[in-house]
Amino acid sequence: MVETFAGFRAAEVAGVPVLWQPDARFKTFRVTLHARRPLGATAAARSLLPALLLQGTARDPDRPALARRMESLYGAAVLPLSEKQGETHVLRFTLDSVAGHRVPGQPDLLGDGLALLADLLARPRLAQGGLEAGSFERERRQAADGARAVFNNKGRWAAQRALALACDGEPMAIPEHGDIDAIEALTPAQCEAARRDFLGRGSMFAVAYGDLREDTVQPRVANFLAELPPRETEPLPPPVEPAPRDRRAAVERAHLQQSKLVLVFRLPTDVDASTWAKRGLFCSMLGGGPHSRLFREVREKLSLAYYAHATLDRHKGLLTIHIGLDEGAAERVEEEVRRQVAQLAAGEFTDEEFATARLGILSALQAVDDSIGDRSEFTARQWVLGHDRTPSQHAELYASLERTTIADGAAGLWLDYSYLLAPQTSEGSS
Amino acid sequence: MSGKNRFEIERDELLGEEVWLARTSRGLPVRVVPTQRFRETAAVLYVGYGSTDLRFELEGREIESPEGVAHYLEHKLFEDEALAAFDRFSSRGARVNASTSFSRTSYFFTATDQIAANLQDLLHLVSHAHITEENVEKERGIIAQELRMYEDSPDFALFFDFLGGLYARHPVRHPVGGTVESIQDVTAEHLLECHRAFYRTGNAALAVCGPVEPEAILDLAEACALPEGDAVPVLRPADLGPIEAATQPAPRAREVPRAKMMLGCKDRDLTDDAEQRRHRQLMTDVALDRLFSAASEVREDLRHRGVIDDSLSAGYLCDASFGFSSLTCETDDPDATAAALTEVVQRPPRIEADYLERVRAKLLGRYVRSFGSSRGIASAQAEEAVHGLAPFQAMRRVAALTSDEIEARHREHFRAEALAQARLLPA
Repeated sequence: MVETFAGFRAAEVAGVPVLWQPDARFKTFRVTLHARRPLGATAAARSLLPALLLQGTARDPDRPALARRMESLYGAAVLPLSEKQGETHVLRFTLDSVAGHRVPGQPDLLGDGLALLADLLARPRLAQGGLEAGSFERERRQAADGARAVFNNKGRWAAQRALALACDGEPMAIPEHGDIDAIEALTPAQCEAARRDFLGRGSMFAVAYGDLREDTVQPRVANFLAELPPRETEPLPPPVEPAPRDRRAAVERAHLQQSKLVLVFRLPTDVDASTWAKRGLFCSMLGGGPHSRLFREVREKLSLAYYAHATLDRHKGLLTIHIGLDEGAAERVEEEVRRQVAQLAAGEFTDEEFATARLGILSALQAVDDSIGDRSEFTARQWVLGHDRTPSQHAELYASLERTTIADGAAGLWLDYSYLLAPQTSEGSS
Repeated sequence: MSGKNRFEIERDELLGEEVWLARTSRGLPVRVVPTQRFRETAAVLYVGYGSTDLRFELEGREIESPEGVAHYLEHKLFEDEALAAFDRFSSRGARVNASTSFSRTSYFFTATDQIAANLQDLLHLVSHAHITEENVEKERGIIAQELRMYEDSPDFALFFDFLGGLYARHPVRHPVGGTVESIQDVTAEHLLECHRAFYRTGNAALAVCGPVEPEAILDLAEACALPEGDAVPVLRPADLGPIEAATQPAPRAREVPRAKMMLGCKDRDLTDDAEQRRHRQLMTDVALDRLFSAASEVREDLRHRGVIDDSLSAGYLCDASFGFSSLTCETDDPDATAAALTEVVQRPPRIEADYLERVRAKLLGRYVRSFGSSRGIASAQAEEAVHGLAPFQAMRRVAALTSDEIEARHREHFRAEALAQARLLPA
């Protein structure tokens, strides 16, 4: 294994790649273990795991006991989290803590925090059959309620529906929480199997960053990882990429005032870091902030939308545009978005637009090092994408791009799906 | 005075941080946290003017402005003669934005370069209101769209139903941005009057955190053209009496998967003293933490009884003219949840020594974490400066907490006659 990666020290510890970097500018530190499996039929069980793990451990038998232990560690946060990263299901286990030397008595908060994290992962009540039916049922019901509550946030709901429809038949269509019916059918045994599967077969790596002592990081992380069961990692499949096809569309209705338009564009994923940088620049010029075409043309000049922005999913190869608007403007807005995409792809933009978008990205990359969370996330993303670059090196890559390369950023881009969430009509039809 | 003499410097030994404090010749408080820890600089200009400052006296007249005018003004100040404020910040690689709440409006940018140009620009925008009937009209549609988006949120609807139940007359009951209807009445004259009344150096503060020279920041801040003086007197009903049955909101049907409810109490006395408000905030936060943090056996018992779930959140918000606690929860049985929460909040638990020790450790950790970003530091310093609060006092306040005063605060705040609730039910 390499000795450095993306500016972090790198070593394999107990069979797990560990990337770490002490940085005395901070007063806190973060350690995150990432475990990755293909997104699939067991998504619901995996998504429920964080809530079940927090029900207690062999040492701290219930939630209040666990929470009190965290409070005693100066409010350390020990958080399991389930998330979707393209077509990969990721479980992240994060320890976020103040550095021990910053508080009275200078406790070993790295060691103590990782010991708590190890208890959570390796010795949860779930694993010992100690999770009573009532607790499991409560968490399962709450997860199903949480999945239903996505509907309360209409922007998020529209994005979820758009992806489900655009990627129908692909793993990407599975929502982050799995599926409500699947959640309601879960059993404790399925969830425990999901935990063992993640720990036993998951593709793992760990990132540690912040106010850490050079001489203690590796031994403490090694102690932590030694608590995990033996692993036989399985490789992750590449994302599903359909061939270009005609644009598809759907309109769904709900009680709301402001309609939501979501346009799902596809991009090939098998490209190098330089192409992703070009795409990043293209996406920024299109919908990356107040300088972008969507903001200036669609929102400000044409007054067709309240918000309009574009996001890029590097894992799945999606460029998604999110717009809040009046239903009557939807057709015109979509036309305008397509016109702006075509113009940018054809190089019809000013030097100023190009320079502003690039400067915004460079400025954001410079600021990545100011935040433990942002730098840890950046390093993790680089590891997943296989791009061994520091934020500064990434900035150099952006700085080297010429305006003529923007067309490369739009190469292979095609509109797959147009989704509109609109108000109920007076007849209540949908 | 020149150079360092223009500043007082306050240090926190635990954090290893220092804040430089000064005032411009026009009286604008300025705080600078010079640090090489961050590459990004954040600047925050905080104005003590928010959505509840609707009625006031200006130049011998009593003025009543429409709901949402503070938020409207925030939008309009981002437009000047050049009509491209966002573009200018973007062209310097800076991110700029603003926000309005019940009692303040803050304007901020973050940037890694051209700090002087960005700061001059921000101060110019906020000091010079470029407001005409034409550009006010143009903004109306955009603000209406923003308000419609909020109104689509069930949480937003629930929150303002709840506030309407707590406060029959105080303007905190109105949405910060007003309503689509109320902003139709906003005129250029309203906005200019509000700007004249509240955008003054005695009612604002600037804070900057990042790799900057304090002297250079203070020199730039001298360019702030806000007029000298304090804000004008605001006329608000005290609205501290018992909750009135007639103003309690009826449960509202919404397209939500589960019922949502809010329940809480309002303070019956207020204080103009910002330090006392901080102390009150801390005591109430701890009282709520004792009952509703994840470590609380009270919360766990409610969970096991099935009357709450993890959607329960608790908070307390106060200012010089209002103060209220709130508990928010999704539930399948709003009656049972309301009854259980009402019973719990009216039964103050003991604040045991081991709990107090644990909560102090947690708050120390939180305090250290709060110095983790230039934006967070600048925002906190700007807010403290506008209220005349000394820096680095958070842990002194925590150390001084006693069990008796937290219990007393609990009894004083959570009273049956001060309790209101609101509900959204699945349509």
